[in-house]
Amino acid sequence: MQGRLSAWLVKHGLIHRSLGFDYQGIETLQIKPEDWHSIAVILYIYGYNYLRSQCAYDVAPGGLLASVYHLTRIEYGVDQPEEVCIKVFSPRKNPRIPSVFWVWKGVDFQERESFDMLGISYDNHPRLKRILMPESWIGWPLRKDYIAPNFYEIQDAH
Amino acid sequence: MAATSFNMASTIFSTLGRTPVKQRFRNRIVSSVSGQQEAQVEEEKVVKPMTKPRPVEPQINVESKNMGREYGGQWLSSVTRHVRIYAAYIDPETWAFDQTQMDKLTLLLDPTDEFVWTEDTTYKVYSKFQELVDHYEGADLTEYTLRLIGSDVEHYIRKLLYDGEIQYNMNARVLNFSMGKPRVGFNYKGDEPV
Repeated sequence: MQGRLSAWLVKHGLIHRSLGFDYQGIETLQIKPEDWHSIAVILYIYGYNYLRSQCAYDVAPGGLLASVYHLTRIEYGVDQPEEVCIKVFSPRKNPRIPSVFWVWKGVDFQERESFDMLGISYDNHPRLKRILMPESWIGWPLRKDYIAPNFYEIQDAH
Repeated sequence: MAATSFNMASTIFSTLGRTPVKQRFRNRIVSSVSGQQEAQVEEEKVVKPMTKPRPVEPQINVESKNMGREYGGQWLSSVTRHVRIYAAYIDPETWAFDQTQMDKLTLLLDPTDEFVWTEDTTYKVYSKFQELVDHYEGADLTEYTLRLIGSDVEHYIRKLLYDGEIQYNMNARVLNFSMGKPRVGFNYKGDEPV
């Protein structure tokens, strides 16, 4: 089960792992964090000029953290653009993934949100700081091992 | 808040060392964050569970400082309904807000007068506050830490309410029972209702 992009990457000797296809038939690839920046540049040159979304999630308690990129190739006169989904996994301790801000500028706030929620630190991101939580917040709220502090909230009122 | 507090200035009392005043308990306690006697307090806890509040000396001629836009136009605080903690010295009479003294925390207890306070119960809350401040000694002075302290004080106030030590003030301006509706024949200790 190999998609078109995977075959193309194999042809050019680029290391990746095919994760199959999602429910819409979009090819999913896993790429190592250390290869991600160079492969991102290659994919941009290949034609994926639009980053549709970037998100991140915690794979399992105590497991890896994943950063997911949905890339689209936008051209004139195409109604079914080529799409691909890239997943980059990094260890929970010291998670570092190269930022693709300098390839697709739109990833700026989305990587900041991933940093804020899961603590993935994106190397070379120009202003990586918390975007949703207050800057003095401690902990990464969307990690599975996060314990919310017992703050007194207005919801406690009946 | 500043404007309303300012009008209320004549009814502000700094609690400690004073007789309780019936109509208002817009009290404040000022204590130094960098309390020196943490170890001592730990030892004391075993014999005496209540930490003695260590209020700072009342100051005279306090002026509002560092509140301008050039200092960011903001202040470090944790504000919930019954507990307002500011990292500044606030003058109890004039409400001058001296932000140069960030080594002090000021607690405004129940500014909306939702509960009926006595000297005894305010003392309990203050000693809880002092205990928490001592506990967080060495932590960064951030909003997060202040909110941890403020939340714990709020939980403590709720505990006092559930234990029946404080009551809702039925003459409060806003009577919405923000810590739970009063119930008859119910207590949280699991005993038989009276």
